[in-house]
Amino acid sequence: MIEATGLTKRFGPTTAVDQVTFTVRPGIVTGFLGPNGAGKSTTMRMVMGLDRPTAGTVTVNGRPYAEHRAPLAEVGALLEARAVHPGRSARQHLLALAATHGIPARRVDEVIELTGLQSVARKRVGGFSLGMGQRLGIATALLGDPRTLILDEPVNGLDPEGVLWVRNLARYLAGEGRTVFLSSHLMSEVALTADHVIVIGKGRILADTPVQELVDGASRRTVRVRTPGAGALAAAVRRAGGTAVEHPADHGPDGADHGADDGRAAGLLEVSGLDAAVIGELALTHGLALHELTPVRSTLEDAYMELTADAVEYRTEGAPR
Amino acid sequence: MTTTATAATTAAPPRSGLVRPVTFGRVLRSEWVKLRTLRSSLWAALLTVVVMVGLALMMASLLNTARGEPEMQQGMAQDEGLQAIGLTGTTAVVFGYSFAQLVVAVLGALTMTSEHSTGMIRATFAAVPRRLPVLAAKLLVVAGVTAVLVVVALAIAYLATMPILDAAGLEVDWSDGTQVRALAGCVLYLVTIGVLAVGVGALLRHTAGTIFTLVAALFVLPLVFSIVTSVSDAAWAEWVNKLLPSVAGERVISTGTTPDTLLEPSTGYAVLAGYTVVVLVAAVVAVRRRDA
Repeated sequence: MIEATGLTKRFGPTTAVDQVTFTVRPGIVTGFLGPNGAGKSTTMRMVMGLDRPTAGTVTVNGRPYAEHRAPLAEVGALLEARAVHPGRSARQHLLALAATHGIPARRVDEVIELTGLQSVARKRVGGFSLGMGQRLGIATALLGDPRTLILDEPVNGLDPEGVLWVRNLARYLAGEGRTVFLSSHLMSEVALTADHVIVIGKGRILADTPVQELVDGASRRTVRVRTPGAGALAAAVRRAGGTAVEHPADHGPDGADHGADDGRAAGLLEVSGLDAAVIGELALTHGLALHELTPVRSTLEDAYMELTADAVEYRTEGAPR
Repeated sequence: MTTTATAATTAAPPRSGLVRPVTFGRVLRSEWVKLRTLRSSLWAALLTVVVMVGLALMMASLLNTARGEPEMQQGMAQDEGLQAIGLTGTTAVVFGYSFAQLVVAVLGALTMTSEHSTGMIRATFAAVPRRLPVLAAKLLVVAGVTAVLVVVALAIAYLATMPILDAAGLEVDWSDGTQVRALAGCVLYLVTIGVLAVGVGALLRHTAGTIFTLVAALFVLPLVFSIVTSVSDAAWAEWVNKLLPSVAGERVISTGTTPDTLLEPSTGYAVLAGYTVVVLVAAVVAVRRRDA
């Protein structure tokens, strides 16, 4: 359980985290989602006592992190950048940290095995790939068998198999009743892993909601219709209370060519307010042929983009959405 | 994938007794593991011993040679610097301290700065979020390791130079309080330099900046002021010179007479110790307050 109240961090004139209040509950995976520079890492570092909050408080399992007698048993953290001396072997690194809590060497070997690092455990970390470094970071986080896990961008640099592994591990750990707080700048990653999501942008909480609700809440349902009688169908749709947007023939909203197979120009409509069945029946009533009738749900990325639209630190102007 | 997931099933359930509370003894052990698992530490240890034994042999040979050359002996007797250092057998045995202090300073500095430059400090402070035990443990480990290394180096230097010094009639006199104080002072001085270096490293965090600062304070400034004081009689320059950390501190290693331009051995060491305390207090504040 992580509870943050009015948590604020300023670096000079920049406010990295602005009056953030949230609770991360045990037993589920909570995603921490936001564009780069939104304040995710800073928030996580404040939870760990690495950064001192300018204002506000944050507790882990009821106390400020530094006040726990065995901190590694409370929180295991994987923080963004590598936090390892490259001159030590993975095993030596873990043994040194384990020593602070009297954690036996067998637990070190256990987390090495758990993260699949057996073959490189005695090699110097300096030669590790990004993925192996990330696995060592996760091994470090698991070392103290912690009740809470804080994983900052855990899938960065992992191959697809590694990504899947992290996803399963996060869900498994949450299933055991642990608190799992996982950050990502990728909505799709959070949607696949997390049950709950806290969205942050420009240091402020934009949403704190079950993942499903975020998707449902922000989505607009539309139906894409391709028909040679676009004009007539659009009129019918409007009479039936829907809205229809006509796109020039042969070019969808995505700019791709959708020429009809039989050579006749088919117009494209984007209909909202009516569902696909009603539109199909309307077309039948008016004797119009349909080449396509597709319900379109806005994607997770759309929902995320919509939420963070005003909160992106670095924006590519005019980028295709 | 399923295999990894199964591994998680067997490894992850919380067990009691696996993790114990953080104690200072455990932090100390952690810092010891950190120090001995780095190649740089092993090099520093080796270099300290080699430099101290090598320079002791060199100085002993020089003293032995000087014995047969009246001119050289007269020159040494008139050299104020040499008189201040002393010209006993002990002088030869401890002679390597001036170079060894550079190695010890680098060793001490790296225990802090290498953690900051690599990001390891975040893992360290995550494990010991109270932070100060980490600084204290690093100080103790560096002090302990330096003390052991210097004692070993002095013992080897003592044995290695014994035949030469015997021949020169300059054998180390264990009944002479000054010589015993100088031998112990050599250990104390280098331990203090190691501790000072940890403190400077904790304050500055950057390896290059820390080593530059230490080299400047311990080597370059004394060099500059030895030139300044030799060309001018300005009282302030003399005072600054005698209060420089290494100039003051190394008085404790001297077996010679104290000229007006330098401090008494105990006073000199107290000055170095004073600087070290000031740096450590600043380091404590910095380590506690600054973001990692």
